[in-house]
Amino acid sequence: MHISKMDELNRRAFLTRSAQMGAMGAAAPFALNMSCISDAAAFTGGGPYQALVCLFLLGGNDHDDTLIPYDDTNYNLYSAIRGGGAGQTAGGIARAKADLAATVLNPLSPQTLTNNMQYALHPAMTRMKTRWDEGRMATLLNVGPLIRPTNLAEYRSQDKVRNPLPFGLFSHNDQQSVWQSSAPEGATSGWGGRLADIAMSSNTNSIFTAISAAGNSVFLTGQSAIAYQVSGSGAIKLRSGNTRVAGSTVAYDMMRQIMTQPDPSAHIFEGEYNRVTKRSIDSEGVYSTAITGAPLNTNFAQGTATSGIAAQLRIVARSIAARQALGVNRQVFFVTMGGYDHHDDLIPGHNTLLGQLDFAMDAFYQATLEMGIADKVTLFTGSDFGRTLSSNGDGSDHGWGSHHFVLGGGVKGGRHYGIAPEISTTGQGQVGQGRLLPTTSVDQYGATLSNWLGASTGEMSTLFPNIGNFSGTNLGFFN
Amino acid sequence: MLSRRSLFQINLSPKDTGSPDHNTMQSTQQPLVEKIQSRQNENPDNHERVTTDRDIGALSLAAPVFTLALAACGGEQAGGSPTPPPPPPAAAVVKKPGSDAEAVRFVTRAQFSVSSADMTRLKDVGYISWLDSEITKPVSELAVAAYQRLGGEDFANKDYFGTNFHTQVMWQQFLDSNDQLRKRVAFALSEFFVVSANGVDAVWHGLGLCHYWDLLNKYAFGSFRELLEEVTLNPVMGQFLSLNDSRKEDAKTGRRPDENYAREVMQLFTIGLVQLNNDGTVKKDASGNPIPTYSNEDVTNVARAISGWAWQGTAAERLTQEPWLAPGYMKRQMTSDPTKMQYTYANRPSEHSALEAVFLGVTIPANTDAVAAMKTVLDTLFNHANTPAFFSKQMIQRLVTSNPSPEYVDRISKVFANNGQGVRGDLGAVFKAILMDDEALATSGLTSQTFGKVREPFVRLVQWAKTFNLKKPVSGKYDLFDTSQQSNSLGQMVFRSPSVFNFFRPGYVPAGTAIASNKLVAPEFQIVNEISTIGYANFLHNIVTTKTNADREPDYSAEMQIANDSTALVNRIDLLLSGGQLSQATKDRIKQAVDSITLPATNDTDARFNRVAAAVMLTMVSPQYLIQK
Repeated sequence: MHISKMDELNRRAFLTRSAQMGAMGAAAPFALNMSCISDAAAFTGGGPYQALVCLFLLGGNDHDDTLIPYDDTNYNLYSAIRGGGAGQTAGGIARAKADLAATVLNPLSPQTLTNNMQYALHPAMTRMKTRWDEGRMATLLNVGPLIRPTNLAEYRSQDKVRNPLPFGLFSHNDQQSVWQSSAPEGATSGWGGRLADIAMSSNTNSIFTAISAAGNSVFLTGQSAIAYQVSGSGAIKLRSGNTRVAGSTVAYDMMRQIMTQPDPSAHIFEGEYNRVTKRSIDSEGVYSTAITGAPLNTNFAQGTATSGIAAQLRIVARSIAARQALGVNRQVFFVTMGGYDHHDDLIPGHNTLLGQLDFAMDAFYQATLEMGIADKVTLFTGSDFGRTLSSNGDGSDHGWGSHHFVLGGGVKGGRHYGIAPEISTTGQGQVGQGRLLPTTSVDQYGATLSNWLGASTGEMSTLFPNIGNFSGTNLGFFN
Repeated sequence: MLSRRSLFQINLSPKDTGSPDHNTMQSTQQPLVEKIQSRQNENPDNHERVTTDRDIGALSLAAPVFTLALAACGGEQAGGSPTPPPPPPAAAVVKKPGSDAEAVRFVTRAQFSVSSADMTRLKDVGYISWLDSEITKPVSELAVAAYQRLGGEDFANKDYFGTNFHTQVMWQQFLDSNDQLRKRVAFALSEFFVVSANGVDAVWHGLGLCHYWDLLNKYAFGSFRELLEEVTLNPVMGQFLSLNDSRKEDAKTGRRPDENYAREVMQLFTIGLVQLNNDGTVKKDASGNPIPTYSNEDVTNVARAISGWAWQGTAAERLTQEPWLAPGYMKRQMTSDPTKMQYTYANRPSEHSALEAVFLGVTIPANTDAVAAMKTVLDTLFNHANTPAFFSKQMIQRLVTSNPSPEYVDRISKVFANNGQGVRGDLGAVFKAILMDDEALATSGLTSQTFGKVREPFVRLVQWAKTFNLKKPVSGKYDLFDTSQQSNSLGQMVFRSPSVFNFFRPGYVPAGTAIASNKLVAPEFQIVNEISTIGYANFLHNIVTTKTNADREPDYSAEMQIANDSTALVNRIDLLLSGGQLSQATKDRIKQAVDSITLPATNDTDARFNRVAAAVMLTMVSPQYLIQK
């Protein structure tokens, strides 16, 4: 079964498209199937299924404790700044070099990084080390929000007209928003959603184009696309399927009507509240049926426990498994993992979190193998910001640029992309305490991912308003 | 999850000078509040004359000298421009609600629920007298006392790592107290000065959160400045935003003070990211961009100025060497005196930075002691030109409407800057002014398509429980729990937000909606989605239609008496819960639902209960109830 009349969704999509075509939206029939609409801004050709999964690390991941310098020169610099012990032992917030030996990342083909840097993964990320070795995982070095390429002098310049900076640097909520939407908190669309706007026409049920397993976020909202929300166990059914309220079926029917049929002259908030509820109730049956009909065997439980991120990635994997029944050919997903704001407890805290992350990402990758579409699904990470290289005793503080992961069968892995920052709290590549000045913008990162999903070069400026300020819009990390 | 810190690794020295336990609260009136009250008493007008909101505006223009004096300790000037003398006081008009519906509208902002007695009294004495009497009600049982009463501090109950007792205490605080105005305001404050059990795992943090709640209640109508200091030095906040044990710079290891609290106290608790006009609108530079309030250098310098504070212990507690035996530190302010710290040792040095700190145009000279430096930081933030509007607008959003007019914000900011007696940061005056403002009371808000806010899920449940006099639990503990999950409960719970950014942000815009295209914000919409809307309805059905639960049983008896008359029943529930704001279409549907439950000729108790439960359930999922206008 397909939902062919996603009224308000399609109507708004149509209005947007109509505006693009210079047509009169008001004269059009109310419910229009997306496929009837001009494909002026749509992916060309059907092609096989593809999906992007954004995994956002909330709180600002400490990149210096994620990709750790391993060659002696850079390790010693890192250890000195982070309070490491004598003889390359642990201390402060530095790890012992010996603990990194099992997760050293050797590029699959020769690659020379800044100051001959060699990285090791955090010791808990053994599974990602394996995926690196298999050429399925790549790292992106020092990426962060930028409006245009910016050096230290430009960062410090008082002339912010000529040298604009992203708004709200170092602030959690604003940098989450900037990462996801190119605008600070209060933004009304994110690039995942704008990408979904374009992807919608590839899907029979446009409602399932953008799915969030992590609550509301600006990332997945576009001009037309809306993030469909699921919980770790999927959609939630009203009254869990019971059709009585206080024992009465009439009361249940009346309740449904109240929840889904807004007064036409209603308050704007009332109307929107009802729309969300109606969307939930209308979609739940299709979604739940589709999920139930597409079993998946991959294990997401680590021992007996399933972490929050593993549960989210499991429901994403199950949604992908059900893609045919859901009527989708291009999708964008959003999941989050919290707890990364390690002003303190960095060492033990990161051990736990990155261990869970490593397991969950790997389980997800295994699920795509099980489905036989590993090369059609790409998972990538984002985060509020990186952190200071310097220590505050048992943690680090808010930074800017950070390192990230891209994982999938289509990824040209076993390789670092971007420019490795020097290990310094005084150099030209940082803005104080080792807060990295990004050398690759989130826009370039996102453009590469969007291009892989099918967005054309011409659509990039819609997706990323500042992309024209950067020379390279494809970072080359896909096969 | 964070690990259990390094609590058990530190070698403790039994040497200590001792420090008295924090006193209970009822006995300690705030000096500032006393000052305000005594001034009010000196003014013969104030006792008899009813202050209208017009008067509040006028009063705030008076006594600029006081404002100047208070603002002089640092930071920017607020409201100091010369002002004309206040107009002569208007003739005393006692503002009263004209109907039960108006009374409910007012009371359900000021507190969680409304009773028939509230309506009668409010119509009788008017808004101001009603508010004054609610404000002077003493704090009901302290949360820390309840925690002890329930056995939370009993070692055998092992709550030192958990929050079971804390959670139960919080429900009892909301459901069993009779100082509802204070509790409602304290809840709003808990969403501004956010601390959460998520991210705090110190031993006895459940107890610490109870103590934090007591502070919010204590200062709900007191001084913002004093509350800011209590919040800053609170041990749970110290853990949550890692000011606890933030140590000065160390050239040898490269360590420098923790920036966490320094940043968030500015961004979230006082001045915000960008410069504001007094009406809460954002100031723009010549090219139309917002102007940052502070730079990262300011953060680094504030971090230095407030370094050197840590949990405070007594000698006796330290002797135990086992923190789970010594909960006292969670009820004490942090200290900068190394000899009084919970984890002290012989010759422990001060961890307060001796370096100069320069921030927001203020210089704290080198070698200033920790207490004096902290005072300068807090005074500077308190007296900053942004603070009145930054705080006032958010409190309007919490209690009245998501999108107040700039004029409304301006009026309240002025009261924050000067309560009319020359006192800045008088929270009682601020909350009164918010609730009494013309914009809040105007009936035009009832027909506007944009005025009002989403009623918060947590507030809805407390409202239900108090409206229908949830019976005291037979076991002594309510059958209620942490309701922060969206998929099967409210998606909200006091002190359970995911981070210091609360469950929702004051500037949240639900993208892709008419709210966004109308350039409005809707903070609570951040937790409105496909999961939470249905999760709430399912949870609610379980709660409001369950007749027999000895630990969570509503008393619908008054409504059951009129349950045979479906129209009367629907109108009654509409009045009590939504202030008569349901549409006719919704009421017709609820009536149909009620009528579908037939009353047998005899023994109709269950059917009457179900009729009431259906009416309550359908009202509480209706859009006109969910959006509080």
